[in-house]
Order: sequence, then C-alpha cells, then structure tokens
Amino acid sequence: MSRIKDNALSLTFLVLFLLSLAGQALAGMLHYNEQQLVEGGEAVSFLTYVTSSSFAVDVAENWQSEYLQFLLFIMLTIWMVQRGSPESKEPGREGAESDEEQRIGPYAEADSPAWARVKGWRLRLYSNSLGLAMGTVFLLSWLAQSVAGQAAYNSERLADLRDPIGWSAYVTSPEFWDRSLQNWQSELLAVLSMVVLSIYLRQRGSPESKPVGAPHSATDVSG
Amino acid sequence: MRLSFAVALATVLVAGCSVDTAGPVRAAERFHAALAAQRPDAACALLAKRTADKLPHPGQNCAEALRDLDLGAGGGLTEVRVWGDEAQVRLAGDTLFLHHYRDGWRVKAAGCRPVRDLPYDCEVES
Repeated sequence: MSRIKDNALSLTFLVLFLLSLAGQALAGMLHYNEQQLVEGGEAVSFLTYVTSSSFAVDVAENWQSEYLQFLLFIMLTIWMVQRGSPESKEPGREGAESDEEQRIGPYAEADSPAWARVKGWRLRLYSNSLGLAMGTVFLLSWLAQSVAGQAAYNSERLADLRDPIGWSAYVTSPEFWDRSLQNWQSELLAVLSMVVLSIYLRQRGSPESKPVGAPHSATDVSG
Repeated sequence: MRLSFAVALATVLVAGCSVDTAGPVRAAERFHAALAAQRPDAACALLAKRTADKLPHPGQNCAEALRDLDLGAGGGLTEVRVWGDEAQVRLAGDTLFLHHYRDGWRVKAAGCRPVRDLPYDCEVES
C-alpha cells in the first residue's frame, strides 16, 4: 500500500495515459469508419485500425511534440533563466554549474548514483541522460510520424486518384509540417504559460507553484 | 523466452509490413482481359460497387457503358504501388486505381490520364 502511495503520481499518469490512448483508438476508429463509408469503402475492425498507419501517425505526432517540449525545457533552462519563475534557476546560475554544485566526482555523496561518483564517459553520459532520453524518444517518434504519415498520406492520395510520393518528398510536404508545427505551437505556448503565469499565480500545495505567500520576485522556489 | 518473443515480434512486423501487390495486379489484368475478350459483364463484376453504379448513363447498364467507352488494350504491367487498402496499377496502355474490399481488390478507376498537380482524369471513376 505504501509502495502505491509512494508512486501515486506516476501510476495515476500511467492509468490516465492508457485510458486516453484507448479512448483515442476507439474514437479514431469510429471517425475513420465514418470516412470510409462516405468514400465508398468498408468499416474496419478495432484491431485493423490500431495497427493502421492512420492511427500510428496520429499517436506519433503527439508523442514527438511532447518529448520535444520537455527536451527544450530541460536544455534551455540550463542556460536561460526567468526571474520570478519556480521553473527557473536563480539568475546568475546559468550554465552547467560546478562539480560541487552538481555533487559529482569527488563531491559525490554516499547515496549519489554510482555513475555520478566516477569520471569519464559514464559521468558525461549520466550527466546528460535525461536530455538524451527525451531527445532520443523525440527523434524516434518524429521518425515514426514521418514513416506512418507517408503511408497514411499515400493511401489518401491513391484514394483521391493521385500518385503516391516518396519519403523525402513527404518530409518536405506541407502535410508533414502542418502536422508537426500544429503540435509544436501548442506545446510551446503551454510551457510559456507555465513559466510566466507561475511568477504571479499560485497553486497551494503544488511543487509546480511557489508557496502562496512567496513574493513575485522569488525564483527557483517551490511550494 | 526473450529471443522467441523477439522472433515472433519480428515475424509480425515483417508480415504486417509486407505488401500484397499480386492482388491488385491480378484484378487490373483480369479487368482488361475481360474487356479485350468482349466480356464487359465480367469487367463490370471487377469494378467497385460505387464505380459500377455511377458508370452507366440513364437507360444503360454497366456492361453497355463499358462497351461504349472502348477503353483500349491494357498491355503489360509496368508498375504497381500499394499503400494500405489503395493501389495504383500501371499497364502499358492504362493506369488503374483499385481498392481492397473484404472480397478482394476492385477497380475504382480506369482509363486514367495524369493531370499535373491534380487527380488523374479517368474515363471510369466513382
């Protein structure tokens, strides 16, 4: 019971993610089948839909933008600050910071992760592992979007009596960039809102907010 | 156990990604073979339902409409492209578009000529 409580945030998001994905699959299949019937095709089964390029591109385009958002947030907050935001470091602390501040190498503590206590490639890799993980998932999702997107787009083009196009033509097409940029703009607006609104607004008890009584000028404080 | 799962996954992926080009080619060739053999009824049976319904003018049936169109010879296969349930089959004398239904591939459009930046202009289409 205590393990569930200790991991309640992750578990809740996992359940919400799976429910949303299942809901997207169901709603997506119903929408896809509506279109199929309008265009003279036949309705497809749930299994056929969730293994289709149409479903894959819709999932991948959202994944890539979310991981891009976190990649940018993680990387830009190393070098850029926003005075007053709990999402930012204090002005003056821009950069990768010293080994002592990062508690690595000789400054590592007894309970520091093993690769924080060593030198060389393992320390470099571990020191950038969060950004690398987000960046890798972003690139793989974007690649998956391009491959599934090309398949779905070519199926539409053939249905419209048009020639299919190759992958390189697809990734420079308005369709690919429309899908990508419509997701990017919303993610970037959400981060901007979080960074700026958290300067002036509060959510009592949330570590994503400053304490209710903290001054607007206080940076790098969570409540 | 882990290896057998990987093999099974790879098999599913390869099978899922393999493309059936023989089906649409066979349907396109049979369509033109029926026309060449003066059997427009058999050619009509290979059309998608919506295409077959839309083809005749008032007072005509599908076979009469196909005979009047006189599509010409299909010729040998030059290219086939399949994406999902849609296919394009290029023969030496014609380009056809097909859709995969539960009972097989059916011709959606035939007698098609390319139009720059626009859909093909087809003699037979839905």
